[in-house]
Amino acid sequence: MRDNTLKYLLVLPAVIVVFATAIWPLIEAARLSFTVGRLNRPGSLERYLGWENYVWAILEEPAFWNSVWVTTIYTLLTVGLTTVFALGLAMLLAPGGRLRSAAQTLLILPFAMSPALIGVSFRFMFNPEFGLFDAFFGVMIPPLADVSWLADPKLAFAVVVMADVWGWIPFLTLVLIGGLASVPRDTVEAAQVDGASGWRVFKDVTLPQLAPVLAVVVILKSIFSLKTFDQVFMLTNGGPGTATQTLSHYIYFNGMKYGQIGYSASVAWLMVIPMIFLTYAYAKFVFRKADQ
Amino acid sequence: MTGRQKKQIFGAIQTALILIAMFVMLVPIVWIFLAAFKSHVDVYQLKLFFTPTLENFAVVFDDPYRLGEKLLNSTIVAFVTIVFAIPIATLAAYSFSRFTMKGETMMLVTILATQFVPAVVIILPFFVMFRDVGLLDTRLGLILVNLAIVMPFAIWMIKGFIDGIPMDTEEAAMVDGSSRLQVIRNIVLPMAAPGLLTSAIFCFIIAWNEFLFALILTNKNAVTLPIGLALFKGEEGDLWNLLSAAGIIIMAPMFVLALMIRKYFVQGMTMGAVR
Repeated sequence: MRDNTLKYLLVLPAVIVVFATAIWPLIEAARLSFTVGRLNRPGSLERYLGWENYVWAILEEPAFWNSVWVTTIYTLLTVGLTTVFALGLAMLLAPGGRLRSAAQTLLILPFAMSPALIGVSFRFMFNPEFGLFDAFFGVMIPPLADVSWLADPKLAFAVVVMADVWGWIPFLTLVLIGGLASVPRDTVEAAQVDGASGWRVFKDVTLPQLAPVLAVVVILKSIFSLKTFDQVFMLTNGGPGTATQTLSHYIYFNGMKYGQIGYSASVAWLMVIPMIFLTYAYAKFVFRKADQ
Repeated sequence: MTGRQKKQIFGAIQTALILIAMFVMLVPIVWIFLAAFKSHVDVYQLKLFFTPTLENFAVVFDDPYRLGEKLLNSTIVAFVTIVFAIPIATLAAYSFSRFTMKGETMMLVTILATQFVPAVVIILPFFVMFRDVGLLDTRLGLILVNLAIVMPFAIWMIKGFIDGIPMDTEEAAMVDGSSRLQVIRNIVLPMAAPGLLTSAIFCFIIAWNEFLFALILTNKNAVTLPIGLALFKGEEGDLWNLLSAAGIIIMAPMFVLALMIRKYFVQGMTMGAVR
């Protein structure tokens, strides 16, 4: 067989799988979003409704905007905190040596943990009676001694953010250590010889060189933050009330608990829009790297 | 203070910070490990010293929890997912790596992009379809949707490994009269084998930890381990000692696998954006 035919035959199975498992559901979700789409009403998945689901979400549903708000704040906080902590930890661990390599190895563990299990473990850690973190914060910050973290809207949100930051710091740290390794040593040393302070070297030499990797980290983390579901479901199930209800959780709840497939598909598509921009930005970085 | 003293103090502060960071990272994991061996009396107290028991592990595998069934489901689903995904991804990755095709960039970007589609969007149509064809609560259904999250990683990761294999051996074999398919089987596959195994392990971990699909598609027969965690919510709240025992069963095998492929973890997750 000639290579010219073969090369397309080789990618064909993969293209079919990707189309069937990712592209088709996207198109089908778009179709559903224009229907009445009640799971318990036969035929309603076919009844065309126009833009009504979208209009309803945007104009009539405070709960939708609440989840947009929760997701936005959650994304900003988790992306910011994870990146800053991971950068600090990466700077600490990058030089290598026995202790530092051991630490790097251990960092792989939280990331191999199921996000659902991270949610469970943080519910455990913040249990008001026998939670270790709950006890720790109670001692460190006395006003927090007797609070029930997960029953308070603001504190529950804080716990969800903490669980996510905890789960993602290790991975982003490992990425950034990889990035730091590619910062040329001699430019750093040259700056040090010139008498620049540690902070100046970091700000003027290391950080600019690290910028592409940092950008990848921020985009990737933003995408995963926007999609967050597992930890939230296991940790607070969106509560108390809707204080920690992310968009994914809102879609899940409307679609699966209330059977409003059409409506939840329209919200799901509203969620895809920011993803398209982030993916575009991410793809640019991947291919820039590949071209080198 | 001399420069040397300064350096020593600076080094000590760094060591302390590293130890604190490691402590914070490990405490929730260690706490689960401890709780799994505590009796149900000890688990409701902040105890560091207690008489360890293996009872929790016996209880979670027994009626009514039957975690063994979930363990079997998780293993079968994750395993069959990679059995499908890795060969399909390998063929595609070879083609992407060695040939130029019309629309190649577009295909690669699309494959990458599907990874970023929220799982909750993908699952709505699958739920409706599986309900109509009777695939709800089956392992087969779960395997099919798991391909959606695993394929992009597999293709990109394996492409990275094949990119790293020099082309001259292949070309020499072709000059000697081997066909392209013989070259793939006799030269590329053996050379790429460690990379394929790494990718398979990576995808296995992802499929094993998958939560949302299993939550929506299963309720009894095909329930996987992460969903099984919800079983341990009793009338009086969470049964923490049992939850922890189940937690160990979920995470310990993944820790072992992750440590085996730790050098490639970053590359896999970022799909080659960071090497």
